[in-house]
Amino acid sequence: MSRLSVRDHLPSVLVATISSAFGVALLGVTGVIGTAAEEDDATGSSGTVGLMLQIVAAVFIVIAMYVAAIVTANTFATIIAGRTRTIALLRLLGSSASAQRRAVAREGLLVGLAGAALGLLLGAGATFLLTRIGIALGALPDLAYPLVDASAGLPVAAVVLTTWLASWVGSRRVLTVTPLQALGSAQERSAADAARPARTVTGLVLVIVGLALVGFGVLVGLVTPFGVFLGLIGGVLSFTGLVAGSTWLMPPALRLVGRLFGQGAAARLAAENALRYPERSSRTAIGLVIGITLITMFGVGIATFERIMREAMAAEPRLYEGTQQMLTATVVVLSVLLGFSALIAAIGMVNNLSLSVLQRTRELGLLRALGFTGAQIRRMILVESAQLTLAALLVGVALGAFYGWAGAQSLFGAFDGSPGVVLPGVPWTLLGVLAIASGALTWIASLAPSRRATRVSPVAALAVD
Amino acid sequence: MTTPANPVVARVDGLGKAFGTGGNTVTALDAVTLGIRRGQFTAIMGPSGSGKSTLMHIMAGLDSPTSGRVWLGDTEITRLSDTDLTLLRRRRVGFVFQAFNLVPTLDIAGNIVLPFELDGRRPSADEQAWIDGLIDSLGLRERLRHRPHQLSGGQQQRVAIARALAPRPDLVFADEPTGNLDSRTGREVLALLATAARGYGQSIAMVTHDPVAASYADRILFLADGRLVEDRTRSSAEEISSFMLAMERAA
Ligand SMILES: Nc1ncnc2c1ncn2[C@@H]1O[C@H](COP(=O)(O)OP(=O)(O)OP(=O)(O)O)[C@@H](O)[C@H]1O
Ligand SMILES: [Mg+2]
Repeated sequence: MSRLSVRDHLPSVLVATISSAFGVALLGVTGVIGTAAEEDDATGSSGTVGLMLQIVAAVFIVIAMYVAAIVTANTFATIIAGRTRTIALLRLLGSSASAQRRAVAREGLLVGLAGAALGLLLGAGATFLLTRIGIALGALPDLAYPLVDASAGLPVAAVVLTTWLASWVGSRRVLTVTPLQALGSAQERSAADAARPARTVTGLVLVIVGLALVGFGVLVGLVTPFGVFLGLIGGVLSFTGLVAGSTWLMPPALRLVGRLFGQGAAARLAAENALRYPERSSRTAIGLVIGITLITMFGVGIATFERIMREAMAAEPRLYEGTQQMLTATVVVLSVLLGFSALIAAIGMVNNLSLSVLQRTRELGLLRALGFTGAQIRRMILVESAQLTLAALLVGVALGAFYGWAGAQSLFGAFDGSPGVVLPGVPWTLLGVLAIASGALTWIASLAPSRRATRVSPVAALAVD
Repeated sequence: MTTPANPVVARVDGLGKAFGTGGNTVTALDAVTLGIRRGQFTAIMGPSGSGKSTLMHIMAGLDSPTSGRVWLGDTEITRLSDTDLTLLRRRRVGFVFQAFNLVPTLDIAGNIVLPFELDGRRPSADEQAWIDGLIDSLGLRERLRHRPHQLSGGQQQRVAIARALAPRPDLVFADEPTGNLDSRTGREVLALLATAARGYGQSIAMVTHDPVAASYADRILFLADGRLVEDRTRSSAEEISSFMLAMERAA
């Protein structure tokens, strides 16, 4: 355990690097925009603009880091599962469980430090490049902008801390490894992932309270646009509840999607594999759900706003000139910002699928010996991958559509002076992009594991190690 | 050696297998020629490293030989593509391994019908009746909805036997099927294999170290240093042990 296996941790380093780079670059760019605004300050409100920008940036950075923490915790849990035999042997030889766990957390700290440092470099580089491009295009005045702001220290430190914490959370399983597991030729157990009632209850309470607030916000919105603030609080609470309770939200969704792929041997095994470790699959999927929900939510919200604007525009065309471009630009910027969280979640999903296939070498050999063709193995892994992305896509789009509509309803319920029902707009282009991206992710995630799995020789299953 | 009543179900001719390249090659099999007879329970014995597992892997199409030819029935499998070998294993060969025989995510019933599912079909009425008979005679009826990890080693081994016998393959290969079992459970498993051969005419080739296990077989083949050194009919455990001791002394 003391030997740091670099290959195990590359994906986690990548995740930490991306979130640190994203944080540094986003704060850097908002800092530059703030400085530029200060320079041609006509209204004297530039201080407020800078502050607002930083608050918005902070929200997106926190979302990205939250997703990164989930992904990292999951990756560590998966790595630990693969090391169970080794850990058990060390326990057998007298090492204590907590010493083992501390060793894992040390690896997490190193991963966090490496990723944060790399991210700082990349983020500063990206800020510099973007600023140069802005100046070249004439969008920014040619000033001496600082390369990195002191505020960049915040995301860097946060990445180190969250990665460390995530590795600690992810290594919880170390405590459940018994020395006996080193001896048993016992078959892998479908790990009865420890049910954590406390978390389930907290999640449920958050969902109920949050949904009640969202509903209340919708009602208040019939009278005043301030209903949206109630809705916002309710949305944050209920969504946090759903994420905390992902272990009861995602498995039914995964099971349902699994049925869509039919009853063939490959599809059935894939469906079982996707649910083999419900906690792991749920966390893998929930990262994607967070990204997809938020992107869909903004998409639906803005599509609804667009429609209302178009209707208003029909009455007074001059008043709303230029809103269309601004809205499109807003959708693009928000999607790109949230896209980083989605990217981090996607890395987590690719890595999780690879690791879980790697840990099943023996079983794959058995299937090959019993007559699974290479094509059937590939199909099985593709279906497994599709099941995760499709379940995340369905849940994310459904949640996003609901929150987007609720937001629009509570903001515009009283738009034309009298209470009314706002029909949600459908952001078709955005949904198309999401569907294509999910398809691509399904395929990409299955590539490496399929290649590895079809190379497993059936003799591997017969060997007694 | 082939009698009309017992034509061979599988045979190898001048089979050689070497592992590794250059200076450190290991010759696992050296010009082995033998046939496994239809409807018989054949044991393959020999000291550790004598090439038993390698022979079985090659006969089952899991590994390819360095030299020589291999037939299963009338099919020469030496030149088959990977996909054809896979289909051959699926339809004409059954396996019972020492450990890790079952797919952990499938329940017992799912594991038993897996060979049919891989073929994309359900057992026919006739096959289903056969499977039901196997499940009852192996005492697995109450366990069909359980997962493999909920069963003892002996029970898991019985499930593996049910799965291997279910599609009525030409030949069942078993590599140390009792290696992980206590002696009483092991004897039960051996009796099941012997019954399958004598009662239903199932051809079985079993690799084993254990003279008691080999005494259940109709015929015993001995390998030493990758060569076939002895071919005898049914013998008692004592006879087998003393032959093995003599073989060791000669070596
Ligand atoms: N993949 C391999 N690479 C290199 N050498 C191998 C490989 N597999 C087997 N061998 C060698 O081939 C020889 C025969 O091995 P095999 O596994 O067939 O023996 P065995 O009779 O089954 O032994 P045991 O009773 O211990 O299982 C041994 O010397 C072994 O070291
Ligand atoms: Mg062997």
